[in-house]
Amino acid sequence: MKKVVDVSFPVGPVHPCWKEPVRLKCETKGEKVLQAEVELGYMKKGIERIMRGRPWQEVMFLAERICGICSVIHNMVFIEGMEAMSGIPVPPRAAYLRVIANELDRIQSHLLANFSYCYTIEHETLGMYLLNVREKAMDLLERLTGARVNKAYMIPGGVRFDLQAEDHVIISSTLDQIEPDIMRYTRMFSEGPLIGLRSRGIGILSEVHAREAHAVGPTARASGIRTDLRTQHPTYQKIGFSPVVRTEGDNFARVMVRFQEVAESIGIIRRCLDGLPEGLIRSGGVCGAGTITHRGEAPRGELTYYLKADEYGRIVDISIQTPSIMNIEASAHYMIIGATSLADVTSTFISADPCIACTER
Amino acid sequence: MSLLQRVKNVVRSRSIHVCFVDVGSCNGCDIEVLATLAPRYDIEQYGIYVHNNPREADILLVIGAMTPQWEDKLPALWERIPEPKAAIAIGNCPISGCVFQRRDTYVSAPVAKFIPVAAEVPGCPPRPTEILSAILSLAPTVFKDFEERRR
Repeated sequence: MKKVVDVSFPVGPVHPCWKEPVRLKCETKGEKVLQAEVELGYMKKGIERIMRGRPWQEVMFLAERICGICSVIHNMVFIEGMEAMSGIPVPPRAAYLRVIANELDRIQSHLLANFSYCYTIEHETLGMYLLNVREKAMDLLERLTGARVNKAYMIPGGVRFDLQAEDHVIISSTLDQIEPDIMRYTRMFSEGPLIGLRSRGIGILSEVHAREAHAVGPTARASGIRTDLRTQHPTYQKIGFSPVVRTEGDNFARVMVRFQEVAESIGIIRRCLDGLPEGLIRSGGVCGAGTITHRGEAPRGELTYYLKADEYGRIVDISIQTPSIMNIEASAHYMIIGATSLADVTSTFISADPCIACTER
Repeated sequence: MSLLQRVKNVVRSRSIHVCFVDVGSCNGCDIEVLATLAPRYDIEQYGIYVHNNPREADILLVIGAMTPQWEDKLPALWERIPEPKAAIAIGNCPISGCVFQRRDTYVSAPVAKFIPVAAEVPGCPPRPTEILSAILSLAPTVFKDFEERRR
């Protein structure tokens, strides 16, 4: 077939809108995008190859360096996989503290993703508001875990630091502060007429296409697919929550799903703090041999770890499937196609919240 | 000192354009560089603008442990930045490779093998304040009297 494209338009790898290097090649006719292809491979470090043959004490720190934005969930899924494999019990207080750390991480990750989107559609004011709220969430994470980004908070059989009484007060009062802010910014986003023009009805991912591309996380939930692995997690089942689902499937829906999930996460943390059981935070245990496939819900979707360890707790084989690769596929092959303006290409790609460090490892 | 040089000094002291390039990190340092934009740290009050465009940059922030894809691209990108320019290595990865510098990996740290690095900010990741103070303390040593010193 004869090619009818005008310009093959490359975006990246170094681009003002991209936080990480990725190249997006769009075949365009006029300003209409006919076809898009993603070129990955700028950040492949081979972390799974480093992990093989090392004891879990080292792999635990490597696991959270797969992705800096969602480091808590990488740590959590790896540690829960090791625990499930070796039959190590977790004290109830530690399980609740893990949920608090995970939800705080989800809040900061979603706010950063929405900041990137607002920055890409050149609405810097809202972006700066969101970054400011994110700093408060980062402060809470630092108070709870002792570090801002790479925390290594969870270890087999519990967590490393307890929540003191004054931390309890500070976390709940800060949540009271940021909740009205989040509500205000959500309203600003949903009612802003110019934001609506750049977001509503752009980059539509229908439910059929989302299923074809195996979209996960907020991208899938914005297209009407009710999928959230937190509903299968025992601690979350005890606390109780309902996944946020929207049916529009456009850029607006994806950003709104993240805003609503931040509000949902604040609710989860409040319920955790109210029902925080007393007792030990570490019960100990020995990591043994076994094979397991363990899943968890990262801020961007479903995260899968396949682990195989020997009797000394050394990782013999490991394979990781991160959520971003499916969302990038959905973004490049379904959302961007038919975009009527090249300015919408970057904002549509960013709205799927691609994390290249996760994808390539 | 010529008048032109004095004018240039004044202008350059309050207008530093920053480009950051990720050459294979875990994303942790990227989000700390982005956090410097936040109103709490407010990088723009010092006249530093994060544009992420190498052609108008003065300072290049290099993040990451140098993957094979970047070995030819990073020197090419460095060539595109107009003089006067400086590179700052953010985090442990561009300095030593951090956890990625092991047997069987694809990385080839340090970044100083490929481009001249003027300053290093260690940490995994460094705090936004440290990144900010590194840029602020490096800028006068590079940009002040640049043409006069060169002559």
